[in-house]
Amino acid sequence: MSESNTPAVRTEGIWKVFQQEAEEIQAVRDVSLTVERGEFTAIAGPSGSGKTTLLNLIGGLTRPTRGRVWVAGQEVSEMSNQQLAQLRLDQVGFVFQAFNLLPVLTAMENAEFPMLLQGVAADERAARIDELFKRTGMSGLEDRRPGKLSGGQQQRVAVVRAVASRPALVLADEPTANLDSATSEALLDVMLELNRDLGVTFVFATHDARVMGRSRRLVQMVDGRIDSDETRA
Amino acid sequence: MHARTIVVLAMRNLRRQMRRTMLTAAVMVIGGALLIFAFALSDGTHEQWIDSGIRTSTGHVTIEQPEFRTSRRIENRLATDLRRKTEHALASPEIAGQVVAVSSRLSISALASSAAGARPAQILAVDPVAEARFSTLDDQLVEGRYLEPDDRLAAYIGVGLASSLELRLGSRLVVQAEDTEHEIAAQLLRVVGIFRNGVPEVDQAVVHIPLQTAGEWLGSHHDVTNVGVVLTGSTAVAAVTAHLERALVDPIARGDARVMGWREANPALAAAIAIDSFGNYLMFGILFIIIAFGIVNTILMSVLHRHREFGVLQALGLTPGQTGTIVLVEGLTLTAVSGFIGVSLGLLATWYFFGDGLDMSALMGEDMTFSGVVIDPVMVPQFRLVRIAQILTFILCIGAVASIYPALRAAKIDIAESMKFER
Ligand SMILES: Nc1ncnc2c1ncn2[C@@H]1O[C@H](COP(=O)(O)OP(=O)(O)OP(=O)(O)O)[C@@H](O)[C@H]1O
Ligand SMILES: [Mg+2]
Repeated sequence: MSESNTPAVRTEGIWKVFQQEAEEIQAVRDVSLTVERGEFTAIAGPSGSGKTTLLNLIGGLTRPTRGRVWVAGQEVSEMSNQQLAQLRLDQVGFVFQAFNLLPVLTAMENAEFPMLLQGVAADERAARIDELFKRTGMSGLEDRRPGKLSGGQQQRVAVVRAVASRPALVLADEPTANLDSATSEALLDVMLELNRDLGVTFVFATHDARVMGRSRRLVQMVDGRIDSDETRA
Repeated sequence: MHARTIVVLAMRNLRRQMRRTMLTAAVMVIGGALLIFAFALSDGTHEQWIDSGIRTSTGHVTIEQPEFRTSRRIENRLATDLRRKTEHALASPEIAGQVVAVSSRLSISALASSAAGARPAQILAVDPVAEARFSTLDDQLVEGRYLEPDDRLAAYIGVGLASSLELRLGSRLVVQAEDTEHEIAAQLLRVVGIFRNGVPEVDQAVVHIPLQTAGEWLGSHHDVTNVGVVLTGSTAVAAVTAHLERALVDPIARGDARVMGWREANPALAAAIAIDSFGNYLMFGILFIIIAFGIVNTILMSVLHRHREFGVLQALGLTPGQTGTIVLVEGLTLTAVSGFIGVSLGLLATWYFFGDGLDMSALMGEDMTFSGVVIDPVMVPQFRLVRIAQILTFILCIGAVASIYPALRAAKIDIAESMKFER
């Protein structure tokens, strides 16, 4: 079922409802969305519109209150915690807004961590890291700890890590929000290039007009619902 | 593969949190050292009590006719051939390394009298050479000398009896007891030495005389009422008892002999040690609950501080179980390493500072005694392999128990929640 002809992700009428004291917060309402492999998709919307929650649902970090989610053809809602962990390991790469990296590991070790868990052989790991570090302009910084890297460099390592394990899609929640505009632009270039050259599927949540402007597909969210979904030629 | 990754992460985390690691380690080191120190001293003290108690009574192990202990009558004695058989078994090379002294003796109740009056006495008829090695009484001489092999009609008495019967060196006394023919027989003795043990009952009543003299006086010849054995330590009791029970299987089956360890022969002493040990265990139980809480606290704090990291790890595909395992490995490594260091330091310090004994005489009055034991004011620590292993295991258990709750917390985090970015 996880062959590459299935969509990277498909949701069918998913809801996420948080219970906060007496209040019921509908963070995601009835979202049906399909992202094909190789797409470069931005999810935009005002603060609190449910972008992060939607990404968490897609990536198997949270379970939907209602509705169903398929990642690489695998239905997520029925999975055990172990199966979910395995799904995240094999099919999903994450890039968060900041503090993505494990502070005790070097850039290289951070980047190869998911591959270690997957059991990828050492020479294969080294080859992938080497290529991706070159592509992202990180060569020579392999042995630095995250504390000794700039914010932009840290995000690049996070992108390398997310891509290196060959997932069906990479989810990035405001990856440029903590970067200045030049650095944001450069990171965006890196991701667009990976998308174009290697066919990596990216789904972003973003406030950043630049990211929206350069995405082929733009999904707008308002109050937990999809308000518009446009794909440019 | 996963295991190695988990261990590497755990080790790096410990190193990164050096200050917290050192703090927890210090607590464990102090705890481990304290445990070793206190147990070495208490084990050493108990061993001294045992040694003191058994040397003035029947030894670490005693072989007796089964009824003698309650009847205290001469008819319940070991016949000469059984005595020889027992002595032979004790000379076996199999246990020779554990046997320090063997003394075959005839113990009888008697009445001792002089011109000044009469007193009940506890006569111990002995082979002077064997008994000198067995007993501490010969060293507690205050006047004269201990019995010698050629002595006949000689008596070695305590200061208490000497003063109540107004006896001095060379004085004569008469002892009377029931002989093997159930007749009252009297024997004249001459005081050759006077001892001072410190236990009033001993100083008042115990009289050592040559076994040969007793054999002629009572018609018991070379028979004895017990064969007492002093061993290298109380830990050797089980092996020696087992060996004797095998060697004497026939007489034991016939009801002619019985092998008893010191606990059975000195129940009051055994009880005193048990009570003292219980107090120690209780104290250390409480001490370690406190230490365990300290460790739970530091490990838990480190988990709470790293909430986001555990979120990242699980987002990357680590299962909750693997995440918890990292915390467990951290906690166990920390306690194992620091526990080991603590125990080593404890051993070293105890051995270096108190190896020759810790003199408590300033805190103790003279002659503190209980149930036939004279408490030595110099506490000499004892190091037992079993005890060290016990303490290390105990420390590891505390580490494991203290890590479980933090590990569960790390395993059960809400990933989405931990990844939230506060702006
Ligand atoms: N764990 C939670 N408990 C209760 N309410 C929550 C929880 N997580 C999110 N919410 C609510 O759900 C709604 C959607 O939140 P979400 O973080 O998905 O929005 P967002 O679009 O990512 O916003 P932002 O642009 O600020 O990151 C908000 O109203 C938020 O307060
Ligand atoms: Mg968000």
